[in-house]
Amino acid sequence: MNCEGCQENLSLFLDGELEETQAANIRTHLSLCAECAKLCEDFASILDSCKLEELADEAPALNTNALWCRISNTIEAEIKPEPKLESEPEPRGIFSRVWNLSFSQAAAGVAGIALISSLLTVVGIRNYFQPAADDFTSRSGDTQTTFEKLLSKVGLTDTPNAARQKRLMEQQAAIDYWNQRVQARRAMWDDNLRRGFDRNLQAIDQAVFEYKQTLEQNPEDELSGEMLDSVMNEKMNLLREFSEL
Amino acid sequence: MIRSLDIRDGFTRSLRRIAIVTACVGFLCALMPIEAAAQRRFSRTYPASQNVRLQLLNRTGTVTVEGWNRNEVSISAYLEAPAANIEPQSLSGTIYINLVKDNQGRAEVGSVNFVIRVPFTSSVDIETKMGNLSVTNVRGGLVRAHITTEGDITLTNIGSTAVSAQNGIGDIFFDGTIQPGGNYRFFSINGTISLRIPQSSSFKLVATAPSTRNISLGTFLGENMRYVSDGRRVAGTSGDGTATLSVTNQRGNIQFIRR
Repeated sequence: MNCEGCQENLSLFLDGELEETQAANIRTHLSLCAECAKLCEDFASILDSCKLEELADEAPALNTNALWCRISNTIEAEIKPEPKLESEPEPRGIFSRVWNLSFSQAAAGVAGIALISSLLTVVGIRNYFQPAADDFTSRSGDTQTTFEKLLSKVGLTDTPNAARQKRLMEQQAAIDYWNQRVQARRAMWDDNLRRGFDRNLQAIDQAVFEYKQTLEQNPEDELSGEMLDSVMNEKMNLLREFSEL
Repeated sequence: MIRSLDIRDGFTRSLRRIAIVTACVGFLCALMPIEAAAQRRFSRTYPASQNVRLQLLNRTGTVTVEGWNRNEVSISAYLEAPAANIEPQSLSGTIYINLVKDNQGRAEVGSVNFVIRVPFTSSVDIETKMGNLSVTNVRGGLVRAHITTEGDITLTNIGSTAVSAQNGIGDIFFDGTIQPGGNYRFFSINGTISLRIPQSSSFKLVATAPSTRNISLGTFLGENMRYVSDGRRVAGTSGDGTATLSVTNQRGNIQFIRR
């Protein structure tokens, strides 16, 4: 085969469309002729680059398919129930679907709920008959309900005395605050107002002293507790109002 | 000679007395215009509806409120030196007078004595730091009289459904009717609380006088009233007990009088 014949069939050779005998002749010529071999290499590289561009054009289509495939898989995975592990034992008992409780645990739970309900009912009935005016801060231990006593014993609530002390401390803190403001302003008042204020404060302090003394002797004295609370509030209001003048 | 000397001495003494008396009278006469000049007068009238509300906050001085048969509120105030500022405001059916706010930051403010006339059916809410309060002939929804320190409260011919009277040192006197379903509260630190009400009044009572234990129910003491806590408190009902009556006197007496 000469060079002319080889170059005419070179394209068909590269596409693999020649008969085997013709292709063998071209291969022999290419191994002998450097010029035709170079031309063949150029053609081959052009064809390769064309094939790569075709693949690149086809890539989005391939990615879209892959994307849809992944979406479909995700949806299927969410819809499908979790496969059960064979090693996990099948739950049993009346609360088997919610809690894994044995019969004895369930029975103990029911008994506990019944006990709490009974206690709440008793407390509700007792409180219903209790006078509404009773304030916990001014109540004595005598008027505490059994449930309240129980709660205070275990430290969940304050005893009436502890609650009273706590409230007194809060009131005293407020009184100290307003008193500071009053002391800063009282120099501006006229004598008449200052004297009236002092007399009134003295009367309140006397009452506070008396109630505290009574409560020291009898901490259970409900009325003194209530009156002490009331008179402390009065002191607080007196100081607050005069701090504005 | 001796006699003529005595006569002369007596004449001199008489002259001296006359001179002293004349000087005193002259001094008092000289003082009177100064006193009169020291007081300023403030006067204003507002047209008002039947259910107007008067809200007054005074510093020191007396306040007298009287109900009258006119649809207007008349405010008269006598201002002692140094005269206070007064700027009443009439807003949506309420007349506000706030002397604490109007004189905020002033070192010295003289007492202000009010005489206010309101329609019978007005609501009255008056408060003062010091001085007597008096309300007469009012039957609006509310009568509230509050003295922070010293002063007497006198409520006469009151027919309101909500009454509150409170003072520090001083007496409280209430003369009026107890309306069905009404709410009545009287509180004093030290003084006497006197309530003059009709025998037919229907109320639920809690009266407390812990210091004196002196609670006199008079003709209102019945089967449904009982003394509790060693006589420091009286609780119970009179009639149907539809109204609520709460009386507390920390260091004074409580007495009920039949009207």
